[in-house]
Amino acid sequence: MKYFEDVQVGDVMRFGRYEVTREEIVEYARQFDPQPFHLDEEAAKASMFGGLIASGWHTGAMFIRMVVEHMTPVHATSGAMGFDDLKWLKPVRPGDVLSVESEIREKIESRSRPDRGTVKIESRIENQRGEVVMSLVSLVIYLRR
Amino acid sequence: MVGAARGRPRVKYWEDFEVGESTELGSHSITEAEILAFARKYDPQPFHTDPEAARRSIFGGLIASGWHTCALMMRLSVEANRREEAAATGSPGLDSCRWLKPVRPGDALTGRTEVLETWPSRSKPIGFVRRRVELINQDGEAVVSIVGITMYRRRPAAAA
Repeated sequence: MKYFEDVQVGDVMRFGRYEVTREEIVEYARQFDPQPFHLDEEAAKASMFGGLIASGWHTGAMFIRMVVEHMTPVHATSGAMGFDDLKWLKPVRPGDVLSVESEIREKIESRSRPDRGTVKIESRIENQRGEVVMSLVSLVIYLRR
Repeated sequence: MVGAARGRPRVKYWEDFEVGESTELGSHSITEAEILAFARKYDPQPFHTDPEAARRSIFGGLIASGWHTCALMMRLSVEANRREEAAATGSPGLDSCRWLKPVRPGDALTGRTEVLETWPSRSKPIGFVRRRVELINQDGEAVVSIVGITMYRRRPAAAA
């Protein structure tokens, strides 16, 4: 288990494999982001995106699934305060296969809670062509040893 | 011509957003079933998926995934855009997002948004709106606050 003391600025982790399906794009969009270019292939073709694309928040949800599967089991985290500087850089389309590259950017000790600290982690979500489709800087709470 | 009677065309274009303007986005009451369904698919940590384990965690009970809270905020924004017939055309991203308070089953969340800045695209017939969006619970506490950017189509010249 990696605690606050164990992660170092500059550490890079690569993990995850998420196959994006048309059915899941539409299902997420129906529940949370019912815009035509997330719901309907014909409407999406006529839009500036030229075809069906995933909701950006859906890409975020797929990202956290990969984090929970691969990082949470081996890192002593206790949730996150949020994130900064989220960019949706490329459309995510049916058939894309996503993975994550995360880098430790900064460690901030808590003054009020000596049992924990905040770690800024920059993550890049890439598709099967190595293109970054989304990036963000998460503020993750780590427990101390 | 109801829209014209209100002093602007029916569709809300980028030109129609003013810095400082504030909008209510509507409300959603979140259920335990919704929290569990989202978390089991996307954020399967025990304090989101297992009421018993959540009771023993630092949260003292089941809480919604922060990404679920953001998804609900998106849903309320899309519905508000539809009511206003706003010509929204996606988002390049967010400056920040903070999950400020836990969201628990039964919480009634109300969205509100404030326009912080607007600027036109130099290359496309769209403009950008930077806004703060918050969800407020039934006790008046903000549970999530984001600052994000939304793109809107420009008003066509013929409609100006």
